[in-house]
Parts: sequence; C-alpha cells; structure tokens
Amino acid sequence: MFPVREDEPKYAFLQDKDSKSENRYGMPIELTIDGDALRDQSLNINNDSDIGDNPNRYKQHGFYFTADNCIACHACEAACSEKNDNAGHIAFRSVGFVEGGTYPDYRRQNISMACNHCDDPVCLKGCPTRAYTKFAEYGAVLQDPDICFGCGYCTWVCPYNAPQLDPVEGTVSKCNMCVDRLEVGLKPACVSACLGNALEFGVIENTPEDRSQIESQIPGFPDPSITQPNIRFQQTKTLNRDMKRVDSTAIKYHRDDDAGVYQPVLDEKHGKTKHWGMKTLLSSHENAHVMFTLSAQAVMGAFVMLIVGGSLFELPVIKAVQQSSAFIPLLIMMFVMMGAGLYKLNMHLGKPHRFYRGFNNLRHSPLSREIAGVTAFFMGLAGYTFFSFFENGFTNLLAGASAVLGMIGFAAGSYYMYKLYRIKARPFWDHWQTASTFYGSMLSLGSLLIAIVSVVMMSNTYDLIKVLALIAAIGLVIEAIGLVFHANDLKNGAGEGQAAHYELSTTFGKTYWLRNALLVLNIILTIVISSTSLTGGLGIFVGVVFTASLITMAYLGRIIFYALVIPTTMPGAFFWKNKGFVDHARESGLADMQQLGVAYERHHKFDVAELMQTVKENSLADMIAQAKAIVTGK
Amino acid sequence: MLFGRGTKNPIKIADKKVKEWKYATCGYCSTGCSIEVGLDESGRAVSSRGVGNADVNRGKLCLKGIFEHELFESAGRGTEPKIRDSFHDEWKKTDWDTALDKTYSEIRRVQEKYGPDSVAVISTGQMLTEEFYTLGKLTRGLIGTNNYDGNTTLCMASAVSGYKRSFGSDGPPGCYDDFDQTDLLIAWGSNLPEQHPIIYWRMKEAQEKSGFPLIVIDPRVTMLAQNADRHLTVTPGTDVVLMNSMMYVILDEGLEDKRYIEANTNGIEELEAEVANYDPVTAAKICGIDEDTIRAVARQFAKAKSAMQIWTMGINQSTHGSDGVVGINNLALITGNIGIPGGTSLSITGQCNAMGTREWSSCSGLPNHRLLENPQDREDIAKFWNIDPEFFPKKRGMFQTDIYQAMELGEIKGLWLIATNPMSSLPNTARIRKAMEQLEVCIIQDCYEDTESAQYGDIFLPAGTWAEKDGVMTNTERRVNVVKPLIAPHANSKPDLWIFNRMAERFNAEGVNKGGVNFPEKAADIFLEMGTLSEGRLSDISGMTHEIIEKSRGIQWPYTAQQAADNVTPETGGVRLYTEDATFRYPDGKAKLIPLPFIDNNEVPDEKFPLWLNTGRLIEHWHGRSKTGKLSNNNKYSPIPFAEVNPDAARELGIIAGDYIRLVSPRSDAIVMAQLTHRVPKNMIFVPFHFHDCANRLTLGLLDPHSRQPAYKQSAVRMEKVADQKAAAQMSMEMRKF
Repeated sequence: MFPVREDEPKYAFLQDKDSKSENRYGMPIELTIDGDALRDQSLNINNDSDIGDNPNRYKQHGFYFTADNCIACHACEAACSEKNDNAGHIAFRSVGFVEGGTYPDYRRQNISMACNHCDDPVCLKGCPTRAYTKFAEYGAVLQDPDICFGCGYCTWVCPYNAPQLDPVEGTVSKCNMCVDRLEVGLKPACVSACLGNALEFGVIENTPEDRSQIESQIPGFPDPSITQPNIRFQQTKTLNRDMKRVDSTAIKYHRDDDAGVYQPVLDEKHGKTKHWGMKTLLSSHENAHVMFTLSAQAVMGAFVMLIVGGSLFELPVIKAVQQSSAFIPLLIMMFVMMGAGLYKLNMHLGKPHRFYRGFNNLRHSPLSREIAGVTAFFMGLAGYTFFSFFENGFTNLLAGASAVLGMIGFAAGSYYMYKLYRIKARPFWDHWQTASTFYGSMLSLGSLLIAIVSVVMMSNTYDLIKVLALIAAIGLVIEAIGLVFHANDLKNGAGEGQAAHYELSTTFGKTYWLRNALLVLNIILTIVISSTSLTGGLGIFVGVVFTASLITMAYLGRIIFYALVIPTTMPGAFFWKNKGFVDHARESGLADMQQLGVAYERHHKFDVAELMQTVKENSLADMIAQAKAIVTGK
Repeated sequence: MLFGRGTKNPIKIADKKVKEWKYATCGYCSTGCSIEVGLDESGRAVSSRGVGNADVNRGKLCLKGIFEHELFESAGRGTEPKIRDSFHDEWKKTDWDTALDKTYSEIRRVQEKYGPDSVAVISTGQMLTEEFYTLGKLTRGLIGTNNYDGNTTLCMASAVSGYKRSFGSDGPPGCYDDFDQTDLLIAWGSNLPEQHPIIYWRMKEAQEKSGFPLIVIDPRVTMLAQNADRHLTVTPGTDVVLMNSMMYVILDEGLEDKRYIEANTNGIEELEAEVANYDPVTAAKICGIDEDTIRAVARQFAKAKSAMQIWTMGINQSTHGSDGVVGINNLALITGNIGIPGGTSLSITGQCNAMGTREWSSCSGLPNHRLLENPQDREDIAKFWNIDPEFFPKKRGMFQTDIYQAMELGEIKGLWLIATNPMSSLPNTARIRKAMEQLEVCIIQDCYEDTESAQYGDIFLPAGTWAEKDGVMTNTERRVNVVKPLIAPHANSKPDLWIFNRMAERFNAEGVNKGGVNFPEKAADIFLEMGTLSEGRLSDISGMTHEIIEKSRGIQWPYTAQQAADNVTPETGGVRLYTEDATFRYPDGKAKLIPLPFIDNNEVPDEKFPLWLNTGRLIEHWHGRSKTGKLSNNNKYSPIPFAEVNPDAARELGIIAGDYIRLVSPRSDAIVMAQLTHRVPKNMIFVPFHFHDCANRLTLGLLDPHSRQPAYKQSAVRMEKVADQKAAAQMSMEMRKF
C-alpha cells in the first residue's frame, strides 16, 4: 500500500462523506452493487495483493477544477510527472490557457487537464488491443502499456488529449488517477500539489468545500456529450466575450449568450496567405496511413472489379483480363501492394511485434474490426492468387472460396476503414466524405492498377481501358461530390472543422488548389479516354499523364486528410502543448535538446526477440483463452 | 457501465523505491520551503516532497522544488578543478592543491602589483550562511580587499537600504502569518504566483478564509494583478510618486495614526512638507493612476484595521528602489502598520539565502549587520577573529555594480566569482564582456562549469550544490532553516565551505596574525560561533543549533540563548519585529519618516525606441537557468527566449504569434519569439531575464543612488520584424546551449 506519512497534511486526504446516487447523465455513481464479482478484489498495484479500505472505493470519482483560481504554476503537472517518473515530453496532466480582453481589462484563464475517467471511455472502446479497463474501483480508466502496441488510435478518439503516445517508448500511457493513493484515502498527487486551490478530487457530483459550482463545461473544454467526462468546473469570474487560444490552433471561444456557453469558432491567426506546406506534409508521421489506405484501396478496388465484374457478372472485358497472361502478374502485383501497405502500417506501430493484438477488441473497436476485415481480405487475396496458378476443379473451388473470403474481408475491412475515422473529437474526418473518398479511390485507383498491368502484359486492351476509364470517372466524381460537400459543410460549420478548412486553404492552400485542379483534370482525362479512341503514342502519353496525375492527386489528397485534422482537444500554452511550436522545434533542430521536452517521431524496429518471448511465455491454453476473450470480452 | 476486460492484469505504477527521506531546505527561492529528498537503495536522489509539518510550506512544493532532486546529476556540473593561462586557451584539468595554490598566488600577485583593493570578490545569495560567514572572514580578515560584494545587489540591495534608512537596520519586520491576520494587502511590483508560488498559496489560503481585499500595483497584468480587487497599472519607475500622493491623501484627510507616529517616528513635518507637492491631480499625470483611484486606495489602506504591504523587484530594481522601500515603510509607519499582526512592510526576497548573505556575509560591512564605519564593530570583530582592527577598511568598499564599472576603468584586475554569473545577470552585457576581458586573473567557483561567465575564467573551482553541503539559510520571514548534505558532492567537486577553508589555510600560512585566524571545519560549529556573535543583536540566533532548527522545521530570528536556556519552544511562525513602541534600531528607538522628492531620471521611450522594456521572472526558471534549463520537466514550459508583445503593436509591424523578432535598445539587440498578449500595454514589451545573451543585452540598468541596484525594469527599446525567420531561429538556437 502507498505509505501515508505521519505528518501528511489534512488537505491531502479525501473528504467525501455522502454522495448522490446518479450523476447528471443518469449513470449510477455506485459502480457495482454489493456482492458483485468485481468487488473486494485487489487492484494488485505492483503485485501488492492488499485491498484498500477507502469507504468510497466503488464510487465514480472525478476531478473538480476551479478555473477562477488556477494560476498556471504547473505544480500539478510536476507532481504528476514526478510521481509517475515521466520524461519531459510525456505529461499525464498539462496546463494550457485561453485569454481575452484588451489591456488592462485582460483575463487569462488557465486550464489544467488530465484524464477525465469518462462514463463512456471512447479510448477503451477504440483501443484494438484491449489495453484499457474501466475499473469498478473509483471508476478509474486505466491503460496498460504492456498490452498497448502503440497505434495511437486512443489519442485520436480522446477529446482531451489524455492518452500520451510516447514516440520514444512506442507505447501509450496515461493518468492512473493515482489509485494507489486513493486506496489509502489520499487525493491524487496533482490535487495535493495544487498551489492555487483550483484542483480538487472526490466522488463525482459532490460540490467541494468552499465551492459553489459543479458545471460540466468551461471555455476551451470540448463538448462533454462525447464521452460524459468525470470532471466538474467552477468558473464564476466574468470572462471576455472572445477567449483566444495562444497555441497555433486557429480557434477561439466565443460566448453564446443564448446557450450560456462558449463555442469554438475560427480565429484566422495567420492571415489568408496561401502556402504549399509541402515540408510538413511530406514529413508527416501519418505517411504510413497514406501508403496503407491508398494501396489497400487500390487493391480492394481491383479485386472487387475482378471478382464482381469477371467472376460474378462475367463482363467480357474483365473476363478477358482473367483469362489473359496479365492475370497472374496482376494478382501478384496486388498481393505485393497489399503486403507492402500492411507492412508499412504495421511498422508504424510503436511495438510492431505486438501486431497480433490488433484483433483483441473486436467487440468494441472499429479499428480491430478493420484489422480483422483487412486481414481476411489479404488472406482471401493470397489464396485467390495462389490457387489461380493452378487450373483444376479442386484449386478452382479453393480459389472461389478464397474469393468469397476476400469479398467478406473487403466488405468488413473497407467499411470499418471508413468507420474508424468517424470520430467526434475529429470533426474534419467525421463526415460522409471520408466514405465517398475511400470508395471513390477504390474505383479510380483499382481501375488504374488493372489498366497498367493489362496494358503492359496483354494485347488488345482497347475496350478494357474504356470501361476502366469510365469506372475511374465514376470514382472520381463520387470523390469530387464528397469533397465539395465537405468543404461547404466545414466552411459554414463551426469550431475545429472550420479551423481545419482554414488551414487547408491557407497553410496548405496551394497544395489544396493543386489537388483540386488535378481532380478536375483527372475527371476530364477519364471522360476523354472512355469516350474517344486514343491509341498509339498519344494514347500512351495520355495514359502516362493520367497515371502520374491520379497518383499525385490521391497522394496529396490523402496526406492532407491526415495532416490537417484538428482535434477538439484542450487549449495548449504558448510553448508547451503547442503543435505549432512542436513542429518548429522538430524542423529547426531545437528538439535535439532533450530538455526541450519535444521528442522526434521515430520508427520502431520489429523486435523478434520480444515476440518470441511472448510466444514462449504463453501456453497454448493461454492463447486459446486469449482468443476466447476476444469473443466473450472476459 | 462498460468496464472492458474482465480478467485484469496487475496495475503498474511507477515506484521509485525510496529507502530513506532526508531533510533539507529548498535551494531555489527565498520562500524557504522544507523539503525531503528520497534516496533509493544505492543512495541516489530519486524523489522530492514537501515536509508536511513544516509551517512555511505545509507539505507543498512548487514545480522547481518537486524536481530538485534531479539537480545533482544535471548536465554541466563541474567535475574537476581546471586552470589555463588565459581565457583564450583550452582548459586543463588539475588537482585541488594546484588550483588552490594558483588561486592564492594569483590573488596576492595582483594585489601586490595593483594594490590590495584591485582584487574583487563577488559572492552570491546562493550559498549557505556558514559559507558566507567564512568567506567574509577570509576576505575581510585575511585577503584584505574592500571590493567584496554579493550579487544580492541585483535583487535585494534596495530592500536592505530602505530598511536601514527607515528603521535603522536591515531585517524584514513581518512574517507569512501576517497574511492570515491582515485586513488589506497591497502588492507593489510583486507577482507571487509566478515568483513565490508557495507564499502565494499561503496568501490564497488566508484570503479564502478572511476575504481581505488585494491591491496590486504593476504595469503588467500578471496572474496576481488579474485576480486583484484593484489593479493599478502604474507608469514604470513612478511608484514613489504614487506613494507620496497616497500619503498626501492620508495626511490631508487626517487618516494617519497620530499616536503611533508620535511614539515611534521622527520626521513627520518634513515628510508632510514634501508630500504636499503630490496632490492626486498632480501625481496622476506622472504615475498614470487617476486621482480618484489614488484617493480611494489611500483611504482604503489607511482605514484598514491592519494593512500589509509586500514588494519584490518591481520596487527594488529601479532608480528609486531604495526610495520605493522607504515610501512603503513611510506608508506603514504613518498608519501604524509595523509590528502588529497583519500590519507590516515585508520585502519578499529573491534568492534562497539572500537573507543569509545580508546577515552574515560581511559584504556590506561586518557580520550580523555590523558596520565597518563603526569603530566599536571593527574592534569587536577583529578581536573575535584574532586580527588587527586596523586591517579593516574604515568604510565599505564598492557595490557589485560599481565593481564592474571600476573593472572597466582598469582599477580591478583580479576577480573571484563565487556562484554567480554576471555575464548573464548584469545589465548591458556588452559592457560586462569588455570588463571581464581585461582582467589579469578570473577565478570561477561554481557548481556548474557551463555558465557564460566561465568563458572568461583562468581558474575553475568546481563546487558542491545545495544539499551536497551542510549549513543554514534564512528565508523571507527571517526563518533560519537547515540543509543537510544528503549526497556526496558531484565527482571531484567540493563544498564551498571546504574551498574557503583550504584557501584560509594558505592565507593563514603567511603568519600575519599571531596564532592565526580560526576557521572551524564543521558548519554546525561555525553556526555556534555565529550564534555567539549574534547575542543581544537584532538578528539573534544564539538559541539555535542545527538540531533544534531541523526539529522545528526552521526557526524565525530572534531566538536567543536566554530563550533556549529557559526552555522556550521556538514558535512555529508568527514572529515579528518592532512589536513594542520605540524599538526601532536608531539610537532613540524611533523610525525615520524620510521625505522622497522624485526626479525622473529613467530612460523613457521616445521616437527611436518607442517601447518600455520590462523584464522579469518565469515560474519554471531559476535565475540564469543553469539549474532549470537542463531539467526538461521545468524547462519545457519556456525553453527559448520570448517577449510578450501587445497584439495591436504587433499588427502594425506585421508580426504574428510565434515570429522571431529583433529587439533593439541603445545598447544592443536581442532575438526573441513574439508571444502576442494583452498582458502588456501597446507601448511595452516584457522579456524574461533568464536567458543568456538576451534581455540583459538590452537593459540600461541605471543604479539606485542608495542601494546601487540596477533599474532592470525601465529601459527603452524598439521592435523589428525579422525577414529571415530561419536565420533568426538558428541565431537564437546558437546563442545558448541550454
């Protein structure tokens, strides 16, 4: 048990005597009933089997933050990092601020934020490895870095930036509510360290001593309906109508008198000048996702065209491909592309050798389902490719079975590939345009893939090319329609989505313009190809131009998709937790100084030894139990 | 409720495996927090926490204290003594004897060639009190230079000077308990939340209970100013005018405490005559505070049952720094707000042991506020130390800031710098650089070898830091608290005390004083020697020992041998000075009310340099960052130099947030990153002073006539947009290694 000092000051002890039965969202505060199997178990903190004697052990706890009082002294962050032994670039809790007014009628509001141990932990649901658990004890949402494989999906879905993806360690870690202190009746380290009397902690919905408010929101805090966070606020001092973020995010918070809350609105921080922003784009850590999604979509598109067009509907032009000498090379090409995409995706993980844990959360995580779907698709594709080498009834049957598996994998994989981006905390992605672009890309890139291999490997591709061009045109038009709606919705929308569109049209304005121009050009080219009879040198020229133009367009579009997303996260400070400064530090080399607290993004090697270790340490029975748990959730 | 997995793995929470907690007093600021450092099995310092039953901090620490255990192994620590022939050469490692012999012979060589005062010893507010006392004995008793001062000239000299002028002696009369007792608090140029976070917490706790009004006087909207009931945005350098005008209102409206004035002060007539020149209408035009506000604040202050005034560098670092302190004291004296619970004028000091050096370093005279100008004091100390009284100069020598000007003139040829970094901390770096370049010998004694001043050193003596050493420190409320050596000094570095004692052996060997001057080896013994010297004086510590101090978590002076003999348990807090009538330190026991005529001699913004340059501190950094600049969990909050710039001023120049900008003053220039904020007015920028080759390249630093403290906070600059942002980033990065 955590040692309690003899001279521990009174303020460090939890004070709750009574509590309410339900929170404001109608959830019970007592998390389990008497006699429940989840009760009277040890938390096994560092393998200590004792059970804490905290009388409120099974009640949902939460932080209370009096924004009026916070002075941004960072004592809470320091106490947290000291206790959890965190390096400078990791912070389970951090303080940012917003400010407004004109000198001297100026007010800065600091916000200290850690994990809110939500009623609806989107991190837990999103995590593909089941590294997260919401405990019946204190309602703490805890994460186990030893399970995590470092995909960072929880950091995408969390609206508060609570999970911390460590580019050095390659795993996520986060606030553990100091459950070791709670077990012995002490408040968390951050709360005990607070020097402004701003931070409090206790059973949720209990108004702390000497406080008058327990609001669910303050300016700068994301919409609580996303996760039902267990944090309450007091903010009674009048703020200015506009409260601005001081980090690089183009957002300010504007008072909505009718709603009585502050809404995030666009703040055009760096004018209207258009830039290429190419350096930022090309060095993006999300490049792995670009390569994976584009190659997977190209291969999926091609596969579906072959199976549906060729095998199911027996369209002559597609059938001809299947029967040509181009067929096997095409399949091999698809297999290699898919394999390369998957490899790239896997190797972007912080712990690539833990890849097999990706299926663990099929019950909740769209990412797990995507991984499962894509894996099934890849297996189907592999089988279909392999059995297509042979020509007999048995192998044909197996090829057919593989095709069915591939199609099922495609349906699940492509759907969840889209679905996993529908994240409320990332309004730029949370739009049907993600689907139209993904499925549109399958048509355009899939067609291109078949076309290139066919033109090189088979004769008389005249009709095929025309059909493929038409399919590509349909895909491109779908994509274009999605993009038009997306842009309009963002521009006329609010908050982070609007800010993302502002960045799109300024920081990456020229790149955005180029992508759009290429999209129009590609639509024209596909229509020209499908409706005219281009042959010979001109045909090859147009084909090459279209290929280059389509690939460039797809790449730029996709990289923008990842680089641009602005999460509904907490405001940062001027240096600390400011994406603009982090980017500058990495670009300029300032980040070479370890004490700057900015780590470079990096890749992690596939650690065979650790994988073998895991295999060795787990018996077959363990593995079966693990697999069972995927279904049962135990 | 969704709980996730049913079978749970054990929870892993970092366990630093602390085997033992050891007591110390925090070495960062003057608040004087009691701290426990956790050592693991191998004796490595792995954790820090506030001591729960210590009255000062009651279990709390600020972010610097929380990571203080990381200091011992931080980058840039000195490991071996080093020497070289000139600062152009490469350093050569050497042994202690060689380095100390060379230090001794070089000091004497320069003194013989240019005279005894041609070697300056510049000390600090960073060492432990026993070390200050020993250095004072060494310098005044054996080396014999009168140019001996500390860097406390840069932070607390005005407070010292102001207290001496008003009360007849240095010594802050109040204590932290006054926050709990007061009915009104005025903070003059003090930003507690950022500079003294634990004192802020004590104030906040008190304010939440009693709800006393808080008045903040500061040109910048600091966190404290924003949370104040009244914020007076005074024009830089004109505080004295505001004080005079407040006194005008108080005296004009008969709100003064006539009984107190009569019983405790001299000079009310002269004061009244002078403040008559500062009616609120006239004063408002100078100090920028409207007449109604001046009257309202003066009345509120005078009518409060007890009123407390605190101040920090906003007052001290000004050409009227000493006058500002006297003005605060005047206000307190005419309203009877000295020595009563909740009524005080309390200087919130700067360095961890600024108070210790004020009391015991002999920089401005002789130990325990004794004066060189006083023959009896010279006689007493000479006898006690076993030296010839005639060896002492008859008046104090130059202040630190004047020593540098003498260095420029070539009057100072040798310099022993101890735990201070003037290349970073003195105003107008360009002048300091030239002064350092012309030295014949420069001895650097520091726990870090990478300070900017070390580049001009010929001898480097690696010193221990903080709790590698043994001794006491005195905090803002006169509390003496103890630091224990809980870890061996890094590599081959040695405690400053050890270095002084070894130097003393070398000077003693000259055999000038028959029997030699005694230099005890142990800090606890030196403390007892100091106790003897303090008996019957204002800062009487004769009842204290290291053991009782640790047990009491620090003891406020005075605590006398008599009290100890009578078994009077030291108070946990709340000890005040001047609680009885006519107990001030002037011979008649009365304090002086000193008239303060105002002359505006500041560099004020003009057409060429249209902006006020205001400098100051950030919570995450310590002085020149040689400590905090290396700890990522402190440094990351402001890792590179920046300026707070008013957005309206920035817009006119096309500057956006995050741009590097160039600041130009009549001295030099500096590159900083622009942070746009309405914390500062359109005609002012704020630059933190922590960064080397930055703020102090720009500052003028006119000296206060009484305290010789530089006016860091009043200079004029202009701001320029930098076209080549990449080059500016590169330049800013190259200028500092941490």
